[in-house]
Amino acid sequence: MSEERVPCVEGLFSEENGVAVLHGSKCSNCQTPYFPRSAACHNPDCDDSNMEDFDFGGKGVLWSYSVADFPPPPPHKFDQPFVPYVMGVVDLDCGLRLIAQMVEKPEEVKVDAQVQLIIDTLYHEDGKALTTWKFKQI
Amino acid sequence: MREVAVIGVGMHRFGKTGDDIVGTKSVGELCRTAVDAALKDAGVKWKQIQAVAAASSRFSGGKGWGLNGNDVVEDLGSTGVPVYNMSAGCAAGGNAFNVGYSMVAGGVYDIMLVVGGEVMPKGMIQTSGVEEATDPEFLRQRCIGMPGPSFWSTLARRRMFEYGTTEEQFSQVAVKARQCSVHNPNARFQKAISLEDVMNSPYVSNPLRLFQICPVSNGAAAAIICSAEVARQFTSKPITVATSTVATMTFDDMLPRGLADPITDCPNLHTEAQNAVTSAFERSAIGPGDISFTELQDNTCYYELAFPEEWGLCKPGESERLLMAGETTPTGSMPINPSGGFVSFGEATTAMGVFQIAELTWQLRGQAGGRQVPDAKVGLAQTLGLGGNATAAILKR
Ligand SMILES: [Zn+2]
Repeated sequence: MSEERVPCVEGLFSEENGVAVLHGSKCSNCQTPYFPRSAACHNPDCDDSNMEDFDFGGKGVLWSYSVADFPPPPPHKFDQPFVPYVMGVVDLDCGLRLIAQMVEKPEEVKVDAQVQLIIDTLYHEDGKALTTWKFKQI
Repeated sequence: MREVAVIGVGMHRFGKTGDDIVGTKSVGELCRTAVDAALKDAGVKWKQIQAVAAASSRFSGGKGWGLNGNDVVEDLGSTGVPVYNMSAGCAAGGNAFNVGYSMVAGGVYDIMLVVGGEVMPKGMIQTSGVEEATDPEFLRQRCIGMPGPSFWSTLARRRMFEYGTTEEQFSQVAVKARQCSVHNPNARFQKAISLEDVMNSPYVSNPLRLFQICPVSNGAAAAIICSAEVARQFTSKPITVATSTVATMTFDDMLPRGLADPITDCPNLHTEAQNAVTSAFERSAIGPGDISFTELQDNTCYYELAFPEEWGLCKPGESERLLMAGETTPTGSMPINPSGGFVSFGEATTAMGVFQIAELTWQLRGQAGGRQVPDAKVGLAQTLGLGGNATAAILKR
């Protein structure tokens, strides 16, 4: 672990003992989960919004995915040369349908695969590795 | 509520900045052509128009404030009429039509102009451009990086998993669309393409290829609508607006729109579109089985397969069979986008809802030439816009 790892956006997620944690919130009245944190519950059937900080993570099932064959425009950042990557949409066991890059190559990815949330490098800047949350097939 | 009729429609052919069709024309010039054509088609003079409902654009005209209707009124001659500028992303044209329809139906005005026009910037539509950790679109791009078309390819991939849809079938939708466009003088692309052409076009976002995704275009469309009573002064064959609806998405929608959404048991991915179409069926007492043809928002070929199922025009998983059997062509049992659709026109975003009204009108009058749906009696139109906006309209003769 020679290089310093820094989240690409502060406060959204962290790595605790090697485990990926997303910092979101949950309404204690209707149990609706939110990521990123939400100041209020958006469920129209919930008449008593009561938000509490809540950490998400763990495993899920890949609902679908797409491939970025070309680099997206800023504010996205990536290491040169650009390598096509997979973006997965995952139904996490904790109740969130979450989007993230996947660590696998396009030809390795299968819809309905079991995946694990991890923290991984997104790009490098000023000698540091900027990290984000990603999925890894298990 | 009074009965409302469409008595005139017009369009400026769609094109791309710098080409032989639209060249360097401003959105004002495109709208002028469409409005002049609609007035002429209706036999109505500009001074007879009592109010204007226009689609608001963030890309062109409107003095940078989306005041596109005011631009049109100034150009045609400031008569002092009320102007309603409607903003709803790509659903804005449908929204403007709904406001016009509601005003005339409610007896506020007897005759109105509905208009939408667009000169689009080059390349993919850029997102918010805000660099703040509180902006969900910024987070989506910084933490993940999602090019626009990847959103559609995620849906296409899911459909391949659920129903075994093949890349050839997505391509066949484009082949069918471009076959229609051959007969549409307003389409940007008017040349038929083969299955091979589509399959040989490059991936924009795997599994979707260049010819399966609509580009952005410049264009404009206009419609003159009025009460049934006023319509009789101008024509013996008005087209009747059976209904026009607007809806927004519901909380349980499962389309992955942000970074994360709560998982619900809602099977629907486009609740705004489904709500708009379903409420159009309810309000008009016209059912899916009564629809002669549909003009739907096909930003990508995926939607031509998914939407008819989401609205009950056919059963889930049935679209591919209907497509391959030719049932979605103008002469089939479930014609979809006989105009050639967005895939043949390109998307002049806020004009599209009005573009659909023009095509429905031509089809219902029997003026659609080589793309005519035989004996078309009832047409359904649908738009979908950023922010969870959607509209639907049902026209009949
Ligand atoms: Zn709640």
